[in-house]
This record gives sequence, C-alpha cells and structure tokens, in this order.
Amino acid sequence: MSQALQEASGTDSASIKAAAPSTPSPASLQSSGRAAPRCSVRGVTKSFGDTSILKGVDLAIPDGSFAVLVGPSGCGKSTLLRLVAGLEEADAGTITLAGKDVTRLPPRDRDVAMVFQSYALYPHLTVRGNLEFGLELRKTPRAEIDKRVAEAASMLGLEPLLGRLPKQLSGGQRQRVAMGRAIVRRPTIFLFDEPLSNLDAALRAEVRVEIRRLHDRLKATTLYVTHDQVEAMTLADTLWVLNNGLVEQKGPPLEVYERPRTTFVATFLGSPRMTMLDGVIVREKGCFYAEGGGVRALLDDDRFGDSLVEGRNVRIGIRPHDLGLAKNGAPSVAELKVEIVEALGSEAFAHGWLRASGPSVVARLDADEARSVRPGSAIRVAVAPSRMHLFDPKTGLALGL
Amino acid sequence: MGEVNRAVALGRKLTKLAFALTLLALVTLLGALSGCREPPRGIVVWHPYRGAEQKALESVAQTFSSARGVTVTLLAVPYDAYAAKLEAAIPRDNGPDVFVSPHERLGSYLANHLVAPAGDAFPDVDVARYVPTAVDAVTERGIRYAVPLASKCAALYINTKLLDEAPATLDALARKKGTLGAGVFPLVYEAQTVYFHVPLLHAFGGRIFDGTSYAMVGPEAERAAEKARDLMATGIVPPEPSGDLVKQLFASGKAAAVISGPWLAGDLEGGVSYRVVPLPSVEGAGKMRPFLTVDGAFLTPQGSTSALARELARFLGAPESADVRRFVGKQDVATKSAWDKREGHAPTADDAVLEAFHNAASDAVPMPTSLAMRATWVPAEQALRKVVRGEGSARAAMEEGLARYLDVMRPLPAKRPSPAPLVSLLGLTLLAAAFYAVKRARHPGFARELRASKPAYKYVLHSALTLMVLVVLPLVAGAGTSFFAGTRDAPQFVGLTNYIEILTVRGRPLGQWLSHGSFYLTLLVTVLWTVVNVVAHVSLGLALGLLLAKPYLRLRALYRVLLILPWAVPSYVTALAWKGMFHRQFGAVNAILVALGAEPISWFAKFSTAFAANVATNVWLGFPFMMVVVMGALTSIPKDVLEAAEVDGATRSQAFRLVTLPLLKPTLLPAVVLGSVWTFNMFNVVFLVSGGEPDGSTDILVSEAYRWAFARNAQFGYAAAYAVIIFGLLALMSRALGQVGKDKSEAKS
Ligand SMILES: Nc1ncnc2c1ncn2[C@@H]1O[C@H](COP(=O)(O)OP(=O)(O)O)[C@@H](O)[C@H]1O
Ligand SMILES: [Mg+2]
Repeated sequence: MSQALQEASGTDSASIKAAAPSTPSPASLQSSGRAAPRCSVRGVTKSFGDTSILKGVDLAIPDGSFAVLVGPSGCGKSTLLRLVAGLEEADAGTITLAGKDVTRLPPRDRDVAMVFQSYALYPHLTVRGNLEFGLELRKTPRAEIDKRVAEAASMLGLEPLLGRLPKQLSGGQRQRVAMGRAIVRRPTIFLFDEPLSNLDAALRAEVRVEIRRLHDRLKATTLYVTHDQVEAMTLADTLWVLNNGLVEQKGPPLEVYERPRTTFVATFLGSPRMTMLDGVIVREKGCFYAEGGGVRALLDDDRFGDSLVEGRNVRIGIRPHDLGLAKNGAPSVAELKVEIVEALGSEAFAHGWLRASGPSVVARLDADEARSVRPGSAIRVAVAPSRMHLFDPKTGLALGL
Repeated sequence: MGEVNRAVALGRKLTKLAFALTLLALVTLLGALSGCREPPRGIVVWHPYRGAEQKALESVAQTFSSARGVTVTLLAVPYDAYAAKLEAAIPRDNGPDVFVSPHERLGSYLANHLVAPAGDAFPDVDVARYVPTAVDAVTERGIRYAVPLASKCAALYINTKLLDEAPATLDALARKKGTLGAGVFPLVYEAQTVYFHVPLLHAFGGRIFDGTSYAMVGPEAERAAEKARDLMATGIVPPEPSGDLVKQLFASGKAAAVISGPWLAGDLEGGVSYRVVPLPSVEGAGKMRPFLTVDGAFLTPQGSTSALARELARFLGAPESADVRRFVGKQDVATKSAWDKREGHAPTADDAVLEAFHNAASDAVPMPTSLAMRATWVPAEQALRKVVRGEGSARAAMEEGLARYLDVMRPLPAKRPSPAPLVSLLGLTLLAAAFYAVKRARHPGFARELRASKPAYKYVLHSALTLMVLVVLPLVAGAGTSFFAGTRDAPQFVGLTNYIEILTVRGRPLGQWLSHGSFYLTLLVTVLWTVVNVVAHVSLGLALGLLLAKPYLRLRALYRVLLILPWAVPSYVTALAWKGMFHRQFGAVNAILVALGAEPISWFAKFSTAFAANVATNVWLGFPFMMVVVMGALTSIPKDVLEAAEVDGATRSQAFRLVTLPLLKPTLLPAVVLGSVWTFNMFNVVFLVSGGEPDGSTDILVSEAYRWAFARNAQFGYAAAYAVIIFGLLALMSRALGQVGKDKSEAKS
C-alpha cells in the first residue's frame, strides 16, 4: 500500500512541477508575470533519530498564491514549515525562496515571517514593541517602521492595543498581533502554523475569513498549515495534502475535493466522511454498475472509461452530501435503515445501515425531507452517477482520472 | 478541603513542636542556673600545662598534699579557653583557688576581679628567692600578685656546623651571608611578627608600650623597623617567615641562626646540632632584648581567703618544688636556688639549652601587664608590616600605628549626653507609627478584613513568636547597644555618639575621611567587593546556566550536580580550603604558578591580590545559586518565542540580549538583591581567607564591626552602631534595586 502511494505521489509531484506554471491558481493569475515559483521545495527529507518524518516532499508556491498544506496531526506539517523557515535543517533536498537557494541558511537570512500556533509573542514587549521588533533588527528607518506599524495596526484593528503587553490581551487579539508582526515585515513568504487552533469555534470562523480577506488585499505569498479540512478548503488557492511524509495530492481545493486521487484524500477531506464500501463491477444491459455492501449504482462510462472491467473488485466511495432520497422516480441505489436523524436546521443527516453487517452509512436530507423520516424506518436513497468514486482496493488509487 | 485539613494537622504538629522546644529550652536554662555544683573540698588548682610541665606540677602538688594532709585537685584547662573559663567560673565562686597563668594577663584579671594580691604567699622575705625580672613581672603598682614559677623568652639558636661561635653582633652575623653555602640564610625569624621584632626595637631603645599607652613611635621605632626591612631586603632574613618555616629552615640546615623560644628545642629531633645563646647586640645600638613572660601562681579572691591555698601557692615557688619543675618539668624556673651548681649531677644537652634560656631571660624585658597593652599588638604589627613591605616612610607607618591604637582606645566622652534627643526621636517614630495605624484602622475595609482573617492568626502565631524571639528581639537589643560605649561591665549611655564618631571618622578632618580604617574607606571596599562579586556571580551563573540548558550537552545531570556542589559545602570549610590554597609556601595556587614558570605570589601582602583571593573564594561559593536561578528561569522561557526572534532576523546574541535576558530579569532581579545582601555581609570569606590582610585593607563593614566588638577592646556599642548602619544601608539597597525592576516593567505597560 505504502509502496504504491509513494509511486503515486512520485508521479504526482513530477506532474506538479510541469503543471504549476501552466495552471496558475486564481490568485496568482493577477500577478502571473513571473514564471518561477516564489517558494519551492524539492525532494526534502527529514528524520528525527530513526523516525523518518518527511520522505521527499515537493512543493511549489507561485507568487501571491495562498497554499494550504493539510494533513492529519503528526504527519510532519509543522516540520515542513520549520524547514522552510530555517528552524530545522533538511537532511536532503533543496528549498528555494524567491529564486535563492536557502536550504542551509539560518532563519534571519531567509526573509520569511511565521505565525506560530502559540503566537510566540515577546512577553516583555508591548504590542507595538512586538510589531517593531523584526524591523528594528533589520535597521529599517524609523519613519518606515512607524508607517508600517500604523498600517498593520489599522488593518488588524490593533490601534487601541498598541501600548498593552501580551498578557493583557485576549486570545483573538494575540492572534492578530502575531499576524501583524508578520505583516509589517513584508517577507518573501508568510508561514502560518495552525494559527486558529487555539481559538474558539465562532472566532475561528471569523478570523478565517479575515485571513483570506487580508491575503486578497496584500497578495502575499503564503504557506498555511492546518489539520482542519474546513480551513483548508475555504482558504486555499492550492491545496497540498500531506500524508505519511509525502504529498498525496495537490490542486485547487474543489478539484481535490471532487476528484480525490486516493482513498486517504477522499476520506480526509469532507465532513461527514466519505462512505467506503467493498464491491465489484457488474455489467447489465450495456451499462456498468458498482455493486456491493447493499449498493447497486449506475456508473458513468465516459468518466471511468477503460477501467470499467466486468468482475473487477473496487472500493466504492460515496460522499454523504451526494447521497439523497430517491425522488421523482430516479433509480434508487440502496435502501437505508435509519437509526438516527441528525437535524442541523438547514439540512439533516440520516445515519443507518444498508446491511446488518455493513458499515454505518450517512445520507443527506433536506430540512423538509427530514421531518418525514423517522428513526427505524427504511428510506430509498440515490446518488448521481457523476458523483460516484471508485478506487482500486489494492493500491488505493482512484479509477478514471 | 483535604488541603485545609492537612494544613490544620500540620499547624497542630508545629504548635506541639514549638511547645516542646520551648519546654526543652526552659529545662536547659534551669539546669544551667542550678548547675552551680558544690566545689570539691580541698584546694583546686587550674593550669594550662601539658606533658612534662604537667607531670612536674602534679608531683609538687602531691608532695604538698601529703605533707599538709589536704586534697589538691589539679585541673588542666586548654590554653585557648583559659581566660574565658576563668572569667566564667571565678565570679560564680565556681573556679579554682589557685591558677597558673602567664603574667601579662594580670591587667585583664584585675579588671575582671579574678585575682587577689598574693599576700603571705609572697612575703617580702621571698623576694630574694626569685630572679629580679620575674619579680618585676608579677608586680603591679608595688603589689605582688603571683608567685613567679617559670619564665619564657626568645633566644638565639645557632647551628654549630655553620657557625663556630656565637656572633657578637647582629651585623657580624649578617656579614656571614654568602659564606655559608647555597641557600643558607644567616638569620631566620618571624620578622613580621611583633613579638619577634621587639628585641630589635629594644636594641634601638624603642618600646611598644610605655606603661599607659602605645609607644612604638619616634626615631627609635623607625630605625628598628627600617633595620628589619633592610635585613629582608638584603636577603639576610627570608621574606614572610612563619613559625613553621623557621623550624623547617633550621632543621634542614638552611639557617645559620634562628630567633625562637624554648618550644623550638622540643621540635628539633636530632638532625641538626645547635647551641642556644642570648640574642646578640646591634652595632651602633644596644642589645637585643626579648620580651619575658613569667608563669605565676595566682590566687583567686576565693582562694586568697584560704591559708592553705596561700601556702600552696608559696610552696609552688619554693626551692624544693623549683628543683622538680626544673629537672622534671624542664622549666626555666624563676627560683634562683634551682640554678646553683650542684654535685653529682651530669649536665645533659637539654640542661644546657635550659641554662642558656635562663641566662637569656636575665636580660629580657617583662611584658607589660596593662589591659591597654593588648590593644597595641595589632596596630604595631600593621605598622611593622607596612615598613617591611616598603610602603611609604617608616615615620608615616609608625604614626599610622599610633593613630590606629588611639582609635581603638578612644576615651569615653567626658560629658554624658542627655538621652532627650534620642527619646524624642523614638517618641516621634512611635507617634508616626501610631498615627499610621489609626489611619489604617479607620479605613472602612479594615475591620472587615480583620474579622475575616481572624482564624488565620492562630496558624501564624508560632512563627510570629519564633521570629520575634530569633530576629526582632536581637535586632532591638543590638540597636539598643549602639547607644552605649565602654566595656561590657561598665557600659555608659552616649546617645548617638557612636554613630557620629563613625560617620565623622572619629572627628578627623575631611581630608582624612578615606584614610585607613575609616568607615568610608571600608564602605568603599565593601561596595567594590559587592559589585565585583555579584557581577561575577551573575555572569558565571548565567553562562553556566545557559550552557547546562543546552539539550545536546552529554552528562548534563552530572555537571549540574558537580556545579551545585560548592553551594552544598559549608562556607567556612570552603573558605579555609581556599585560604590554604593561597598560602605562600604550601598553597596549590602558587604551586601551579611555579609549575607554569611564574614567580610565586604573596597573596595576602597586597590589597589587590588579597582582594582577588577573597573574590575567587566567594565567587566559588556564590555562583551555584545564580546558576540554579538561571536554570529555573530558563525553563520558563517558551522555546517558540526564541524561534520567533530568530525568524524575525535576530542573531544568537541579539536573541539573547533582546529576548532571553529581559525574560530572565524578573527572576534574576530578586536573586541579585539577595546575592548583594549576602555578599555585602559575607563575613566568613573575608574573615577566614584574607582576615583583612594586608593592614585590614580588605576588611568589609561586617568584619570591621566584628573587630570592634571582639578584637579591639570589646567596644560592643561601637560595633552595634556599625551593625545598625549596615542594616540601614542594606535596607536602602534592596529598596533601590527593587525599584529598578519595577520602574521598567511598569513604564512599559
Ligand atoms: N524535534 C523533534 N524531535 C523528535 N521528533 C519530532 C521533533 N519535532 C517533531 N517530531 C515528530 O515529528 C512528527 C511530526 O511532527 P509535526 O511536524 O509537528 O506534525 P504536525 O503535522 O502535527 O505539525 C511527530 O511525530 C513528532 O513527534
Ligand atoms: Mg503542528
């Protein structure tokens, strides 16, 4: 499995290098003058002792683009970010920033700014002192410092807080100071390490939007690390999914969401998770169906093409959002025995089983439909053929890409 | 809840413990008070003798006891504690009837009422019995106070292999230099010790004490000191000879002659063949005459009422007991008859030495007995050393010696000041305190808080009491003492005189306010001492703390323990060890210097090196504390803050200066305040390592205060005033340092 994944990502990254300049992300379209990526990481490996954390990672972030590195906890995202910042040294591979090889340079010679998960504000300096710190070290003229601090402060609403010490700020305010400290620097690249993970849910959503808004305004090249797929989806121009020390897939977030290359990416992105069922391809009246685990669903010939071979074992993937009540005589794919209905107001999720021994399956209901579905009842559910995902059960790779 | 219960239980336990301790203290106190046991019947004699002298005395006492049918109890009391034991026991009628002591303590015995005139123990008819100098020694203002038993004085030991005959003059001996062989000194003696310098002083006609006051001034004293300096400068006498060195050089044949007392003979076991002769003369001056010390049998006031005790005292000096003391005890007895030529007695080598000392003693000068004499030793020695080291003119040194003596022996103020100013000051302070207390009590929240905290009082009661007894009372008693002057027995209220004298340098003109021994000079040295030490402590502690925080350092735990070790060893042990290491002849530091090809250094001969030795010791003692503080503070600095600084563009040193240091400051500052207070008052190191050498110039305020109390005529009031001033200075310093930290952090917020 891992062997196959490695190969997969190997081909993946090879194609990225070729593809990155030719398929610019929306943000980089606006400043598409330069061909070379603002930040590139090639074949970087890193081990701590005997544990290999990064096994040859490649990244390319175009100028002005917002790249999000997403992956489960402990997969080495922070490590990669620290390698780019220069806080750790790579075992092998090269890191270039603005065309300059910085692999062996200390952080101060890299011109990067980093927002730490814990914010890492200087406790003995006021907000103003925190903002000025990096500029003073670089001997920026006083007038310029004042101008940039004033700008950043107004942008982030920090003006009334400038004279306060970090311990006199709330979590959200600290987070903004940490961002301000990065902004005033105007670095080659902004590095964010899960900057929202210490905030409460409401604030997190708010700041998430604010970050995106700031980026659109500053057009600053950004590498943002998170394990939260919602953040990843909403913020990214380009999404990089990291797993087991390798990049499994990269691309615009919607594309990655809709066309996951591997079972890992498919299940990692999207909430609730994609349902995975073991099945087989059958052919009936010239049409191909995926059948198994209580499901029998029509497949799209055009999409899967040659990979549709009768009798082939596959893993069937269906996102809960794509699974709904079979309406208007549309062919149903399965019958769901409803256990619970989870009503969220605007929509609802029905949890249940297709087969007594099968896995739990989730289907999405409209708010109106939810009223008529009772726990214990059985409902007929359907999915559009274009929304079906098939994976090779041995390699975990998606079919029909 | 469990927390509270535990606290209550602990509180109870502590209360019980405190109660038990108080009880124990009371029982001990009662025991001590009722410990005045019945004195044993018969006559009690105390003496400081050991070995042969003790045996001879016991034999004489036995003879008297069997002849008179009375029990005589002999008690050998170690010499170090002799005076203290006498002072403690005799006023409580718990002491001896007769005690043997060197005569020069007579002044202090009289001052403390420890002796009575010898009376019929030394009748006029007996005067002819004894050597005249010995009789002089025990006579004070025409009254004889003791029966003279034996004399001790210095004489010249000559190595008979190197010198054929006794040198007639010191100068003849000096001229032998160069003819005696490689590395052989013509003369070795402790030239920087006043006791051994006195013969030279006498030769030139000088004196150390004229019966009432210090007298080592004037041309005679100057010439004598210059002579000593020249002897050393020309290599006739080795520099800085100690008693050990004298013995070592003579025993190894590296000294043609040495000046020493009878005790040296006992230490020379074969090896060297020698003779003892009286001290030589000095050309162009007189004869070198040493000080004479006479052991006498003194009668205590209690003993003097007993006829038997008086009889025993007289018997101790009688011819038959003198013979025993001479031939068994090997004493230079003061009884003439013991020295008569007698038949059938084969003279031994020991005997020859004894006779030589007896002859030398006939020319010796009895040491003055006056109480004031004791105060002359230190100033005289400091003056002598100054000349010998070649610092300034002999006249200046001698006059400084006199000034030092006069400082110590200042007369009490003639006019007793009225206590009114002090009382009114105290009254004002109390009034202000009361006013403040009333103002606080009026505050509306106060009563409520008082009620709320009522239950807490019983938990702090025992610690409050302990603090009261152990800290507050001694403080108040000490402050009270500072308003008195005079000796312990006759304190006299002098108001603020002690303070005024200290702060005006005992009335000297302003130009001399930084002269030796002045408060301001000592303060300057103390401040220098504190600053140098604290800076060294903090920088070393910081460096090591940072080093030990490095994760890649192997065996970190081991280094940590090793580096904390100096802290764990009692400071006086460390101080004594370092003093040993800085020894001129046997110290490890000089051994290393010599091994590296450098000249050995007389560490305690110069201020700079003596100060450096003190600092080295104290840095060794003090850095672990700072190191531990730094290590603790470092763990509280988040790693990512330092990383943020790195990303922001800071170099290692900038990150340290701009982030680590400011974050260490809040923890370090209280440690620096504590460290400064400890260093300011670091008595152990200064007293034990340099001991104030040279000339008391390395003394700091506390050690100076100590000297006023215990080494300079027991001027407790003066010392207490010093202590109060030190307390005030430290209180101010802590406040000022605390303010420094506060200002910064407050201003930022
Ligand atoms: N300095 C280090 N020494 C040893 N192991 C480390 C170190 N830093 C990170 N790791 C390990 O590397 C793995 C990846 O860590 P990290 O990059 O922080 O993951 P995340 O993706 O959650 O940010 C984790 O298993 C972590 O324990
Ligand atoms: Mg992380």
